[in-house]
Amino acid sequence: MSKKQPKGEYIETDTGNKVSRRSQIIGTTNIILGGKTVIQAEVIIRGDLLRTYPASNPSEKQGNTVAVAIGRYCFFSRGCELRPPGKLYKGQFSHYPLKIADHVFVGPSSIIEAALIGSHVNIGSNVVVGKFAIIKDYVRILDGSVVPPNMVIPSFSVVAGRPARVVGEIAEGEVDGMDLREVYRAVGNG
Amino acid sequence: MASFTPYTYFQCPCTDTSTPTRNLGDEQPPETEENSDDERTFDPRAPRSNYSLYPLEHLFYCEDCHQIRCPRCVLDEIVTWYCPNCLFEVPSSTVKSEGNRCTRSCFQCPICVAPLSVSSLEAPPEGLGAELASQQNGPFVLNCAYCMWSSKETGIQFEKPNGIFAQLAKIKNGGEPILTAKDRRKDREERKRDFSGSSAAEESQENEAPINLDPNERLDPESQFSNLKAFYQTQMAESSPVSALGFTGDYGYGSPGALSRIMGLYTGGSYADKKSKTKSGTMREARDALEGLQIDPLSDEDAINKLRTEGWESTASAEQRHEQTTHTPFLSDLRPVAYLLRTKRSKRCKTCRHILSKPESKVQTTRFRIRLVALNYIPSIIIKPLQPILPTASPLLAPLNPVQFLLTFKNPLFDSVKVTLATPAKTPGRFPTKVTVLCPQFEVGANTDVWDEALRDNNTKSSLSGEKRRTKAEASEGQHQAEAGKVWERGRNWVSVVVEVVPPSLRIEDSEWLKSEEMKRDGGEVRDGEEVVEIPVFVRVEWEGEVGGEDSGLGGGGKDKEVREKRELAYWCVLGLGKVDVD
Repeated sequence: MSKKQPKGEYIETDTGNKVSRRSQIIGTTNIILGGKTVIQAEVIIRGDLLRTYPASNPSEKQGNTVAVAIGRYCFFSRGCELRPPGKLYKGQFSHYPLKIADHVFVGPSSIIEAALIGSHVNIGSNVVVGKFAIIKDYVRILDGSVVPPNMVIPSFSVVAGRPARVVGEIAEGEVDGMDLREVYRAVGNG
Repeated sequence: MASFTPYTYFQCPCTDTSTPTRNLGDEQPPETEENSDDERTFDPRAPRSNYSLYPLEHLFYCEDCHQIRCPRCVLDEIVTWYCPNCLFEVPSSTVKSEGNRCTRSCFQCPICVAPLSVSSLEAPPEGLGAELASQQNGPFVLNCAYCMWSSKETGIQFEKPNGIFAQLAKIKNGGEPILTAKDRRKDREERKRDFSGSSAAEESQENEAPINLDPNERLDPESQFSNLKAFYQTQMAESSPVSALGFTGDYGYGSPGALSRIMGLYTGGSYADKKSKTKSGTMREARDALEGLQIDPLSDEDAINKLRTEGWESTASAEQRHEQTTHTPFLSDLRPVAYLLRTKRSKRCKTCRHILSKPESKVQTTRFRIRLVALNYIPSIIIKPLQPILPTASPLLAPLNPVQFLLTFKNPLFDSVKVTLATPAKTPGRFPTKVTVLCPQFEVGANTDVWDEALRDNNTKSSLSGEKRRTKAEASEGQHQAEAGKVWERGRNWVSVVVEVVPPSLRIEDSEWLKSEEMKRDGGEVRDGEEVVEIPVFVRVEWEGEVGGEDSGLGGGGKDKEVREKRELAYWCVLGLGKVDVD
């Protein structure tokens, strides 16, 4: 960090997203960012892993081009990877969209292949979230956990281990602390 | 050793009062505090302290008792039962009848606890029109996507992809069907009739039973239990005919026979009628498998043989066996584990029974109807080192070297509060830390709306920011000395004060006191956790609040809203500041 980058580390979009210049975002047209989301250096987002399996009802076809949907005030730490999950269904391999709601923190070097991540979810560092996992609101996943594929994590859970299991509950008072607005404000080009 | 994040724990006043040596200064009403808080110092390393110290987030505040409540002094009440996997709500009546596990298709892997998913064993259709094939056909198995275990390994396959719980209840490991409880009950009734008739006819009747039951059959644990239970129930009913009239439940406490027995207890046995006494005591024990008796000399031999041939790898680990409901020494005995239900609970104060927290009853909503958390009532404390730590410097505290920390108190109340801090000059324990709070008394502003601040900010912006910059600049230069009795920095609803500590030297030979008898006794070792500098702080908060919320409508309460009440709250905190360099 001896020499300061002339343009600054982050590109700030109209909706307030702060995206590092050193992140790898592939298939940008298939990615939706809700705004005020921070994407740090070396983050990989695989927007190119699109759903190829035809949607069951034709009305869904319009929304078919979304591979990764991210809400507001999310924070993706250095080196984490977001990858839409894929599986073989009726003899055909297809990826399915990865949806992330608001105030989701993903720690450094974590790999996310979930189907759905709710709001106010805190994922630690070096976590692997398996394919098609569903994480509900107010969940904390501790460092180094491996969430097995297809796991459903109910709200207010603390999860840890390999394979991950629910090890505790989020206390009533901790709920307020999972807001990421302050964290967003602290990130800047300075 | 590498990193240390400072922490603050708050002591809940519910701690056991039966130990007079442990200080409980905060337990007393505030009036008597003057004479108590000097004498007793809270020792964060005392073995009991662990049970009363909580981070602020875990604490509640009871508005009626005006006291902190911790998870140990609240009562839990179940609002909703639900399956953590399918998130379906389970009515409490079902929980009573079916047990506390999900009865749909939610299972955990018996090997690794990861969730199991249902998949078809049939090869997926291929070729033209493959994607049009509507439904996959069975047989179906449960698969673990984490450790690749499959229920096929234990010989379990299903016909339908749904309702796995009911299907599994009918299949033994290996694929043999389990006699359902219904079949067994039919058989039992048959036997009951036999008993009431002649016992000689028993054998012949048995052979004619609709399902041919072998008296020496190997029972699975569930049916063995149900057989045994049924057997003893009939035995109890038969042994005391008096009580047989009212014997409907498992124990029959309400029956006349039981009542007379209980009455007999009170009257010293004289009341106990001789009739029932003579008749009881003729209970016999189970005789065969139909009555729940299992004598199986083969099973031990089988187990030994299996160990010989398949070795240690085929046995189940302690954790795996712990998850199972029955005796399962081998991996092949393990069965998929149905998910335990989870609950949403409301919490009540144990003292006054007022609700402290009540979640919405619906499984999917995360809102709370009532949530009285301590976070909204007592000032939080954030610890920061006064001098910024250089990334190259050791994060450990140098022994006998004074360090200054900033304590930032943030007031969540909408009234300004007066905070008084008290610390022992030396912390208790074998390696005492010297502590000085430079400003033990200060006032923290009210937590007004953010908009108020923003509006006020416009007027005083220049002066405020100027002030801040000055303090910052001075701090970096190290010229701004923390003055005794003065607040370091102040904001809308927060105040920072400086606390200076002199960490102890952990060298045994440095400590005079240890050289004496203590060292000989302990061998002079630095025990686990002793290198952490933990400082007990007694915090007293005073404020003037509006008179008691909604339910204290004492007649004239509505007339003058300006009635203010003086409030006081006092409690111990423990500040974890850092670790001392051991050598």
